[in-house]
Amino acid sequence: MQAKDSNPPDGGYGWVVVVSAFVVMGLTVAVLKTFGLFFVEIQQHFDEHASTTSWITSITIAVFHLGAPVASSLCVQYTHRTVVITGGLLAFSGMALGFFGLNMVWMYATTGFLQGLGISFSWTPAISIVSHYFSKKRALANAIASAGECAFAFTFGPFFQWLISQYGWKGALLIIGGIQLNICVCGALMRPLASSCLEASHCKTETTPGSSASWRDKEDKSPIMHKTFNWMLVRRPEFVLYAIFGILAAMSFFVPPLFLVPLSYSLGIDESWTASLLSILAMVDFGGRLLCGWYANLHVTKTIHLLAMTITLISTSLMLLPLANNYLSLAIFTGFYGFFFGTTVAIHITVLADVVGMPEFDSALGLFMLIRSTGGFVGPPLAGLIVDMAGDYRAGFYMAGATLVLSAGFLGILDRLQQRKKRGSKIRTKPEKTTLPYPSLHLLEHQ
Amino acid sequence: LTVGVSRTPLQKNVSLASPTKIELTCKLEENSNLKNPQVTWKRGSETISHTNKTQNSWTIQLTISDSSQLGSYSCILKGEVEVSATFHLQVPHIEGKEKPIITYEGDLAVMVCKTEYVPVAWTWYMTNGTELVAINPSSHTNKFQFKRQSANVNRLEILKLTKEDNGIYWCEAAFRLGSSKRRFELRVLSIMAPLKPFVAVVAEVVILVTTIALYEVYSKRKEK
Repeated sequence: MQAKDSNPPDGGYGWVVVVSAFVVMGLTVAVLKTFGLFFVEIQQHFDEHASTTSWITSITIAVFHLGAPVASSLCVQYTHRTVVITGGLLAFSGMALGFFGLNMVWMYATTGFLQGLGISFSWTPAISIVSHYFSKKRALANAIASAGECAFAFTFGPFFQWLISQYGWKGALLIIGGIQLNICVCGALMRPLASSCLEASHCKTETTPGSSASWRDKEDKSPIMHKTFNWMLVRRPEFVLYAIFGILAAMSFFVPPLFLVPLSYSLGIDESWTASLLSILAMVDFGGRLLCGWYANLHVTKTIHLLAMTITLISTSLMLLPLANNYLSLAIFTGFYGFFFGTTVAIHITVLADVVGMPEFDSALGLFMLIRSTGGFVGPPLAGLIVDMAGDYRAGFYMAGATLVLSAGFLGILDRLQQRKKRGSKIRTKPEKTTLPYPSLHLLEHQ
Repeated sequence: LTVGVSRTPLQKNVSLASPTKIELTCKLEENSNLKNPQVTWKRGSETISHTNKTQNSWTIQLTISDSSQLGSYSCILKGEVEVSATFHLQVPHIEGKEKPIITYEGDLAVMVCKTEYVPVAWTWYMTNGTELVAINPSSHTNKFQFKRQSANVNRLEILKLTKEDNGIYWCEAAFRLGSSKRRFELRVLSIMAPLKPFVAVVAEVVILVTTIALYEVYSKRKEK
């Protein structure tokens, strides 16, 4: 008896999927975060400017975001497992070919483009399949999976440095590529849920409305519309609101890590203590993710309310952070920021699933990542501009905090909208016992 | 150059590239415990008479014309307690990579030297046993290449590396007041070095994927 997508296991094999997603997060995002260690080596070797070298990471991040919708539409057509394995092979090839290090353009193509595509094809389905496997415990599962990024990033820093010192940057790239090949192992573990609509023939026989036997299957039926990439999502106000929230949040998320180090130096804190700040950030981030997952699992608060709270708490920490004037205060505020950042990241994918519903989740995830990336591109330059105008790094933190408060506003509007719709549907039909608000509305449309 | 004198011994490094006249000043902090101290400027055991004295600062003027005049000059303030500050006059340092440079056979090695001031000449040496042998760029053009990226940055590229190129290299920047050197360690590895762990990891992946695939086929057959 294979598990169905409409009736997720909420445990059992799902935990295997969570562990493999945990590892995928580590082997993708954590590698990207730690790639900065290769910068100086590559820059010096090819005799290039720092800005030219930094294009490598820009390309990786850009391809990662642009590839997300492609990856999610491929997930729907082929399985998550296939896409993740493909991603693993692409990421591996990117790093392994980077070993040959012919010239800068070669590095752009390999460690930039191929790696970005590989990361995108691995990360997107991994995140998505966890949500498919769980419903009641989805928040906890997503939180645990996302914590993989922190756990691996923490160890990769010293590990990559050691690799570079032993094998040089070229050898290190080769070995890291091999390590990334383990993404394929994780992909192999991601058994697809037998959603009856992934086999087209099943779906066609269930198109007759009104028969009580297919009442349950109507939930499965909606995937037909979303077999290919779904732009119809943009017509849904809930998705648009959440996407705007995503843009504003992304605008602010990339700013604090950028300016924390310069701010720390400007306060007179030296290199090793500043490095410890980053370690503190990674550790509390990890703790925040797990704690938020556990709390959300208690189902005491609605996920969207929880997200709004965490966003508010991050923006408070960011607004307070500029008040720090020595290492201890900076460390404390950084700790708060990191912790609430972790809680936000842990919960925001679960909220997306709650906003759009599982049938459209895959396309929504891809599209959301794509739209959110605009915020990520606009944020750092805008913050840099503000810092230059104000002449102080603290301005960057104020900007990030303000953007987050604005994004929380959109969450509030979204919540109101959802509540209004729910009230409306309650009046018209008997409420169905499901954790997702949407299926009841779908049933309505088919009458 | 002024140094505020307080409890802890102060040092300052001054880089000088060419002959110049320089003034060194020791200034007493406003709320210091010392009142009207006796001040002497010394270089080693030799005392120098200070040329200028104001209410709470003491200055000497020096003309540095060759490397023998470089060194450490201290001002010593004697009162109830004794405090001193030292200026270290030296040739400019060279910045470069401290950790060993790791490259592969057949590949290209890069060593970059950077200084604050423009030197008169750059020379690169390789070590032959304990001797330093200067590298002559014109005699080995397909092996060694010098690239002058700017006046104060010099770059040595060693092409077609072999195991024999392993060793210590020196970059020397000659200034009018002396020269300064920087040490680089070059390690040439064979391609097999990173290939071993790489193949080990790939083998592990293949084994795991095969195991998982076989297990799934087995459990599906069991279900049927």
